[in-house]
Amino acid sequence: MRPSWQRKDTGLVVRMILSLAILSLLYIVFLSILAYLGLGFIPITIIASIMILSQWYFSDKIVLWSSGAKVVTRDQFPELHDLVERIVARNNIPKPKIAVINTRMPNAFATGKGPRTSVVAVTTGLMDILDPEELEGVIAHELTHIRNRDVLVLTLASLFSTVAWYLMQFGFYGGLYSGGGMGYGYGSGGNRNNNGAGAMIIVILVAMLTWIISFLIIRAISRYREFAADRGSAQMTGKPIKLANALMKISGTMRHIPTRDLRQEEGLNAFFIIPALSGSTIGNLFSTHPPVEKRVQKLMEMEASMS
Amino acid sequence: MNLFKRLKRGSSYYSYKPEKDDSDAIFSLSSAYITLETKLDLKSTGKAAISLKSVSGTFFTEMKDDIHRFLDISKSDFELLHNIVSDSYGYLWVILNGKRIEDLIAGISAVGEIINDKGFSKQLLAAIFEFKNNSKNNHQYLIYNYNLNKFYPFVPVSSKKEERGNEDEMKIMATIVDEIPFERDVTLWYPLWDMPL
Repeated sequence: MRPSWQRKDTGLVVRMILSLAILSLLYIVFLSILAYLGLGFIPITIIASIMILSQWYFSDKIVLWSSGAKVVTRDQFPELHDLVERIVARNNIPKPKIAVINTRMPNAFATGKGPRTSVVAVTTGLMDILDPEELEGVIAHELTHIRNRDVLVLTLASLFSTVAWYLMQFGFYGGLYSGGGMGYGYGSGGNRNNNGAGAMIIVILVAMLTWIISFLIIRAISRYREFAADRGSAQMTGKPIKLANALMKISGTMRHIPTRDLRQEEGLNAFFIIPALSGSTIGNLFSTHPPVEKRVQKLMEMEASMS
Repeated sequence: MNLFKRLKRGSSYYSYKPEKDDSDAIFSLSSAYITLETKLDLKSTGKAAISLKSVSGTFFTEMKDDIHRFLDISKSDFELLHNIVSDSYGYLWVILNGKRIEDLIAGISAVGEIINDKGFSKQLLAAIFEFKNNSKNNHQYLIYNYNLNKFYPFVPVSSKKEERGNEDEMKIMATIVDEIPFERDVTLWYPLWDMPL
């Protein structure tokens, strides 16, 4: 039987649909409350669609620009191009553009609207510390993000929380100045001014709630998709342990394995230092990436299931 | 866990005896060993050891004699050869040699209990089990640390350069981390270079 990680990841599809459904439901509820409170449907739609389209259209440019990544040609980085081509050829996926960020920090990311227009970016620091097979694991991880259309999913998901955030602020200031004629009730009849303050509070509360919920959902999706991308990388390269090594190198775990002899350590009496507490679950709830040790453990399990 | 064992645990709750936990932990290696063998192709080299800090005095010498005597007598029960040596750090090593991992586990656990009974449990450093991967031809170790009451891996690559095989160590961790008491904090994986095994 094939190890479970080599089979199709139905969990991902289910979660994707489910979380998008929850998000859109929240979106609709939020918009209908706004509409109920008197803000015209057309202004809301226009605001929402402008934001969606612009964020979507400029997503890759924004990411590349803000990270300082430069798209590089084959002449500039021939080995990197070869390495990416090897992976895409083996796995029958379109070759992305390749970008390099000039920094010592080892990191990599993928961005783009679809498999054909996406960009994989790596830092020079990453290329320095990883050997080719480990770099292959990292790039395959990013290619899986592209193949799974994670950028689209997370853009849509975070878009919702962004909209909620703006409206929350708008509602807040609107509430402050409602006496001055800047309230939502503008143009929809004088009777709205009476319950304007109460309505503002409801808007703020609902917006806050939707923002918090969508924030947590985004983080849950994002963490799950990291595991999915690790699995995809393992399938593409067939060497999960190389990605595990890369993760340990990037996070500095390898450096933390001591080389000083236990007997020396006992002599110094330094051994009785209380070991650091392991990460709390609340911390996990708010982080977008799962802890490295969990990812490494899953990758090692894949490696073990192959032999 | 069977009822008898659970009752034993329950009764010893108030008079806390760490040595029972130590032998429980060491015995859990017998099932984890099967996992190591099937998943990582690691086989016992037939060597295991227990290491403790030497102290001067007749009680310590008596204890050494007891260990010798016990291992001589029990030769009919477990097929174990033994050897006691000292290292340059001033640690005493009781080295066992036997074909079956079960015998090594039982032997190490029994020696640990003798050391405990003689009042030297504070001196106990570690129990070490040696493995080998036939295709890689390197030695890989599981170290049971008596202070942590946990196992962790050690794969020496070069003792001169103090270089260790982190990749193999992480593999061992991933394979048996849920089967035995395992130290998840890698910063506590102190190595033992140049073991006299």
